[in-house]
Amino acid sequence: MESSIQPLTMRVGKREMDVFPFWIALLVVGLLFGTVGAYQVFAYGLQVTGLSNQIPWGLWITIDLSAIALGGSAFLFGVIVFLLRSKRFETVGKLAVLLGFLGYSSAGLILLFDLGQPLRFWHPVVFWQPHSLLWEVTMCVVLYLTVLMAEVLPIVLEHPLFTTHPILDRFPILRKTSTSLNWLAHRLHGFAPALAIIGLTLSLLHQASLGATYSVLSGRGLWFNQSAPVQFVLSAMGGGTSLLFLLSVIVFRIMRPGLVKDDVLYDVARIAGGIILVCIYIRVWDWAVSNYYSFDREVALQTEFLNKVSPYSASFWVGQVVFALIPGTILLLAKRVRNFRVLMVTAALPIFCTVLVRWNYNFSGLLAWITYDPYTPSVVLYSYVPTWQEWSVASFVISYWLLGFSLAARFLPFKSADHHA
Amino acid sequence: MSDQTKNETQAENNVSSRRDFLKIAGAMVGAAALTQIASVGIKKAQASHGEEGEHRWGMVIDINLCIGCNYCTYACQAVNNLDDDMLYNVVTTETTENGDEYFLSRPCMHCDDPPCVHVCPVAATYIRDDGIVTMDYDLCIGCRYCEVACPYDVRVFNWREHSGTSPRVPAFGTPEVPPRPRGVMEKCTFCQHRIDIGVERGLVPGVDDSATPACVVACPTGARIFGDLKDAESPASVSLQANKTPIRLREELSTSPKVYYLPPTGQTNAATEEG
Repeated sequence: MESSIQPLTMRVGKREMDVFPFWIALLVVGLLFGTVGAYQVFAYGLQVTGLSNQIPWGLWITIDLSAIALGGSAFLFGVIVFLLRSKRFETVGKLAVLLGFLGYSSAGLILLFDLGQPLRFWHPVVFWQPHSLLWEVTMCVVLYLTVLMAEVLPIVLEHPLFTTHPILDRFPILRKTSTSLNWLAHRLHGFAPALAIIGLTLSLLHQASLGATYSVLSGRGLWFNQSAPVQFVLSAMGGGTSLLFLLSVIVFRIMRPGLVKDDVLYDVARIAGGIILVCIYIRVWDWAVSNYYSFDREVALQTEFLNKVSPYSASFWVGQVVFALIPGTILLLAKRVRNFRVLMVTAALPIFCTVLVRWNYNFSGLLAWITYDPYTPSVVLYSYVPTWQEWSVASFVISYWLLGFSLAARFLPFKSADHHA
Repeated sequence: MSDQTKNETQAENNVSSRRDFLKIAGAMVGAAALTQIASVGIKKAQASHGEEGEHRWGMVIDINLCIGCNYCTYACQAVNNLDDDMLYNVVTTETTENGDEYFLSRPCMHCDDPPCVHVCPVAATYIRDDGIVTMDYDLCIGCRYCEVACPYDVRVFNWREHSGTSPRVPAFGTPEVPPRPRGVMEKCTFCQHRIDIGVERGLVPGVDDSATPACVVACPTGARIFGDLKDAESPASVSLQANKTPIRLREELSTSPKVYYLPPTGQTNAATEEG
């Protein structure tokens, strides 16, 4: 039952040192730095950001979208493990659920800072406006975060602290709490197939709606296209699974040798590669179509402008196309490559690409804006530079994510033995 | 995995499959019920296009009369209690296809099909029965999706606390509405407070100054004309009937603005028809 966990080590001089304490110290510094910015944002409002009336959504929204996208493996593997009954992915699936929980809670956290009225964060849940895509996204994320909590609780409770730790016998109240928590976890685990279906429904709904959030903006240019919902779902599945593969190799192959077979890890890489290729296939068709049919004069102007300005043009052709096409192919051929170093480096690119897709969707139409002259419209380029307070809050949320992951990687057993076996 | 454990797992799967089926079915029924509840809400949200009411307020801006003095902007800031850096109304210098310069003053278009209303997650921004697109500042969460969605860039966010009185007070008017809190979205309301009180008192917005938007009253050349588009006798309707080629901004987006422009002389609306 007890699988030994190998810490990640670093060679300093002649000594092998455990990197964990240093890593955690670094993350604590990140959190502390984040607290300063967080205080400023809450005390002085959004005037401390680099946002403006022309570019109202910035760094935080990109992080929010990316965190949700990179948690996309949770619903995919929920389906694979609990509906397709694929036992071999069970352990990897647990990590996927954990990544989902961390991703969605990070997204919720950073959105709290991005609201002008943070104390009204609960309004969408009470004051319904079902016609709004953002309302739908909010409801789905709230519900799905609840589902993820139910899914992640049993995984956290696998830790010996909640079952066999001697402290439980010294304090009866702790033993009682742990027993009732385990009872709850067991019940929740019984609902796993239902939770997987709800998770799938909610995820498809809100991942697609996040794309649609941008496609309904008819007055904006190039990347705000009608296939955005499909792009968002597929790139979340592809990017999320790439991240899952990368972290699985660290958590299972390096830190828990023998817990997951190499073949399973190769299969995770192949799933990621396949989805990435489907996604980019649709994306390139969409690019061709939206360039061919430019009905709106203003949108056409904007599109032309963005194609001309090299950072936007390059971020599309290099970041979105090349960084998806080549890694997608290599990951799909994982079983032939059979080299985890190469595969890990390769898997990093689609993760970057997934973030870049969000970045591009968010900024392209905001930065290049047209004048209102009905006769001779022209494009104006606005600029946005995040302030240190924005980076600080970003550091807070990213440190939270990494801290959650690092603690889980270091301490959770991820046992494959469970109530079924 | 040994054969024995494999068989056991299979047996376990068979036993639990009926229970799982019931759970799955239950989840689906729940999802269906949710969709039903949501669809009721959607009908409610789609109901108003601002055409049901007795009135339908609109504005006509004669580009030929506009001299770019910015009085409309200043009067708006004074009356709506705005800080100096917040503008509901913007005046810019543009050029016609012939290269002639003209002034384009741009308030909220009060669209019949407003993108900002469709995207607001809490229905804080809504369209009234008389067609005015306005805000409920108590509901707004400050997500700024309306600002991203507005094709006319007329929405302004309250980035900081209200500083006090505008430098335009009292030269261009005195504040008539309370200041809004930091972190909510604001917009031009066609001075709805003036219209509402005016109509109640039997005044005619567009004719009687105290019931007419501040920008219209402040305009020294009479370039702005306001009135009820449902009333053929209102100043706005009369002006629209007299002019053969009024245009609206970005008409191709199907937002149906209620702010019309009388184009500069020598410039027809051919350009917008092409789009």
